[in-house]
Amino acid sequence: MSKYIPTIGVEVHVELKTNTKIFSNSINGYGEMANSLTNVIDLGYPGTLPTLNKEVLNLAIKAATVLNCKIRREMHFDRKNYFYPDNPKNYQITQSRTPIGYDGYVEVEVNGVKKKIEIEEMHIEEDTCKSTHRGTKTLLDFNRAGVPLIEIVTKPCMNSGEEAKAYLEKLRELLFYTDVSDCKIEEGSMRADANVSIRKNESDPFGTKAEIKNIGSITNVAISINKEIERQTKIYDSGETFKPQTRRYDDKLGDTVLMRVKETGNDYRYFPEPDIPFVYVTDEMIENVVKTIPMLPDERRKVYVEKGVSEVNANKLVQNRALSDYFNELLNENTNLKIASNLLLGDISGYLNKNEKTITETTLTKERFLELINRMEDNTLTSKNLKDILDKILEETVSIEEIIKTSGIENITDDSAIRDVVKSVIAENPGSVEDYKAGHDRAIKYLMGQVMKASKGSANPKIAMDILVEELQ
Amino acid sequence: MDDRLSKEEVLHVAELARIAISESELEKYQIQLKQIMDSVDKIKEVEVDDDQMLIANWSAPTKLREDVEGKMLSPKEVINNAPRHSGNYIEVPVVIGEEA
Amino acid sequence: MKYLNKSVLEIHELLKEKKIKPIDLVEEAFENIENNKELNAYITLNKEEAIKQAKELEDKEVDNILFGMPIAIKDNIITKDLLTTCASHMLENFIPLYDATVVEKIKSKNMIIIGKTNMDEFAMGSTSRTSYFGAPLNPWNKTKISGGSSGGSAVTISARDLPFALGSDTGGSIRQPASYCGIVGMKPTYGRVSRFGLVAFASSMDQIGPMTKNVYENALLLNAIVGKDERDLTSAEKETEDFTRLIGKDVKDMKIAVPNYFMSDIVNEEVKSAIKNTIEVLKNAGAIVDYVDMKYLDQAVTLYQVIALGEASSNLARFDGIRYGFSKENPESIKDVYFKTRQEGFGTEVKRRIMVGAHILSGENAKIYYDKAMAVRAAMRQEFKRIYKDYDLIIGPTATTTAYNQTDSLDDPLKSFLDDVLVNPANMSGLPGLNVPVGFDNDHMPIGMHIIGNDFEEAKIYQLASFIEKELNLDLTPGGEK
Repeated sequence: MSKYIPTIGVEVHVELKTNTKIFSNSINGYGEMANSLTNVIDLGYPGTLPTLNKEVLNLAIKAATVLNCKIRREMHFDRKNYFYPDNPKNYQITQSRTPIGYDGYVEVEVNGVKKKIEIEEMHIEEDTCKSTHRGTKTLLDFNRAGVPLIEIVTKPCMNSGEEAKAYLEKLRELLFYTDVSDCKIEEGSMRADANVSIRKNESDPFGTKAEIKNIGSITNVAISINKEIERQTKIYDSGETFKPQTRRYDDKLGDTVLMRVKETGNDYRYFPEPDIPFVYVTDEMIENVVKTIPMLPDERRKVYVEKGVSEVNANKLVQNRALSDYFNELLNENTNLKIASNLLLGDISGYLNKNEKTITETTLTKERFLELINRMEDNTLTSKNLKDILDKILEETVSIEEIIKTSGIENITDDSAIRDVVKSVIAENPGSVEDYKAGHDRAIKYLMGQVMKASKGSANPKIAMDILVEELQ
Repeated sequence: MDDRLSKEEVLHVAELARIAISESELEKYQIQLKQIMDSVDKIKEVEVDDDQMLIANWSAPTKLREDVEGKMLSPKEVINNAPRHSGNYIEVPVVIGEEA
Repeated sequence: MKYLNKSVLEIHELLKEKKIKPIDLVEEAFENIENNKELNAYITLNKEEAIKQAKELEDKEVDNILFGMPIAIKDNIITKDLLTTCASHMLENFIPLYDATVVEKIKSKNMIIIGKTNMDEFAMGSTSRTSYFGAPLNPWNKTKISGGSSGGSAVTISARDLPFALGSDTGGSIRQPASYCGIVGMKPTYGRVSRFGLVAFASSMDQIGPMTKNVYENALLLNAIVGKDERDLTSAEKETEDFTRLIGKDVKDMKIAVPNYFMSDIVNEEVKSAIKNTIEVLKNAGAIVDYVDMKYLDQAVTLYQVIALGEASSNLARFDGIRYGFSKENPESIKDVYFKTRQEGFGTEVKRRIMVGAHILSGENAKIYYDKAMAVRAAMRQEFKRIYKDYDLIIGPTATTTAYNQTDSLDDPLKSFLDDVLVNPANMSGLPGLNVPVGFDNDHMPIGMHIIGNDFEEAKIYQLASFIEKELNLDLTPGGEK
């Protein structure tokens, strides 16, 4: 156990999933030809003015709602003034005095312990352009300039890399499920910076801060924070101190490296943006946004488990939003959700991965899926047989019953036919029969396997087992 | 009261404004900026009844724009006006870290 | 044959009756400008395009009163494919990719853009002497300044080159040169005219407005350029109205306030006496004119310095030599691009104002100066509102003096602010204000009266101004009627 208490605060930038940019009607897109998604506003041309995208406000309200933030009803924007080639106007339009959301939290669980991660504030701002360094030149692509962002700032309330990681995972899940953002860290649509300091006692003032910038993955967040805690511990243990600084995580080194020591605070000369009048958030706007919020991941997990789905499956379903959304359609049906979850996460997922499809791109309507679940439940279709007809089920539109019939794999439910198979298996395996009688339970599984094999998988397993037990007596 | 700003003060605002100033200009600015700041300083003495702030003379709350795409520039139009470009990119001397 | 010295109504009739063609007006305008070349009113002429457009109009129906009328545009208003320099080395070769909303509007009326007028660099100044292209000269006396920043527009109207011009007004830049040059200039209510395409100086005060030889024609041009613009969030949602509708009505029982500060000893005696004479004319016509005390008016310059320069330092940050405009050749680093481009690209006045603005917003100063200024600004607006409870309009002189010598106060960093002391408050409070000529000083330089209206009451201002114009019946053509 370290003798220091680490303190961590996290700032996350998330690109909002809108059609157009925050202050102009050019397309909010990724991966297009350089400088093909811009207009005079994005480029900061003289005489241009910002207009505010309605959807940005809606998505920010949505994010604030799911992050349990209070929502400001009257706000304005501010200018943050700094020169940088990726900042077309050399000021960024942001919200410094009146962030749209404040005093929020998300709940995370680390090693079985629940913790509320407190959110200080959440504000709307514009993204900068993308720069690429080539030798002695830096190349600028303004497609990203003006993409809408929200920045979410926690209080310095976390104590480990694992907590920060859990927070980011939870944040990503929430914002992804609410369509606020696609949260792709690798494409930069979600970017995290962490502030790390350590101190001896809770009552001490916070220690010197190091900021770790632009961490490339959520896993690396935990690693880099823990590495930074280690580094600071060593420094203090050896009686040294360090200056506030900015560091970055180097994936190859597996450690953080110094970017620069922070000089006196930046002089951003904030002042209220005179080009955008006050923005008022009404009850009606909030109500309309709240209506669009789907069942959230935590709720989904809870409901799934309540309806008989295993915890493992519940988690796996929630990790795949398309499957989870599809699964949600079944929640009010009278069906076996455990089987449904097994099917979706098992054979069906296998098919989807292999064919690079999503569940909605298959022909498995809710009605046909319910029919399939019933067939599985009453054992009129075995998993073995399912494998043979799965492609048809997912690609054709006829009923499951029809597919089973025409595939000639109709389940053998005829007792006498199965009994014949069982009898011959018993006759051919005297050793196993002995074992069974001697009390080795495993032997019956072997025999059952032989029965299914001899029937080419077409025997109804439940009936076959009953007959096997009966014949062994 | 001094009749000029310090060299450091002038150099600081010149740095903020990204304007190079020569040694000879420096002294002129020390005096002239101070003259304007002396005038500006009078704002401190004005008494107002409440601290309501008027950011601008707006007549109505912000009318929000529908999220519908509009006309964009071609990369060629973007680079045509740029002093330096390379392919479809606008170019500047390499920018390292946050030094700019 | 000369047509452009006639009234717009007369020209319109001639066009309608096909007695003249738009090309006649365009050619005459260019001829006038050529004859008045030394006035240096223009930075760029749009000759080829204007002639082409005039010829195209020959087949079209004369469908509105501004059809075929030549117009000059201040060079900080963006015109697609037509050089827009803001009178700065920084934009000396800048060819815009779009039209300002006002330019779209005047084009839709089939007005013909003759050229881009000279001005103070980035509209920063009160004399137009900060222009990179040299100062325009006052047609009443070429040794005098035109005033500014819309000096070129004021000069070309005053010289009767053409009937219409657009200016912009952040702290008096339409009204003050209008006063110095003896023309009518209106700064509309903030939000009345879209700012989209006006190169920003101080966003919370900038307005585009019409500059003309008389009141009626001023109202006609305002009719054409107003309206809510989806591209400018600060433009006001207002029904269109006819700003000429009250012109010709008398001023009996109109209640007019004259703030004592506007007639205090900061104002030159000759100017004051011209205003007093006009006040007598109004009283004789049955208007009620009272002298009133108003708080905060004496703070206008200070207020303007804080807010306008703070905003300007941010608005002009975009001129960095990266995406458009001038850029220092062969930079060795990104620092070079910024520092040297801005050192060479901007003139002295602009650099001084940007630096003061940066200082005002720097660190703790933002609270001390900027926040305080916004509070004083709110109080000043309240003070105007208090007066408008009892009065229709507020009047006073537009400028403390008449136009002064080109060589006066060249290096005084405060003079340009003080020149606008009487016109600043309207910008601070967003109110409409207009200059109407009311006389001449002993050197026969024009004196102007400033009329400030309540929000969106431009029509009432025109009513009073046109009454004064008619009653005084001054000869406002420099050198006499030609």
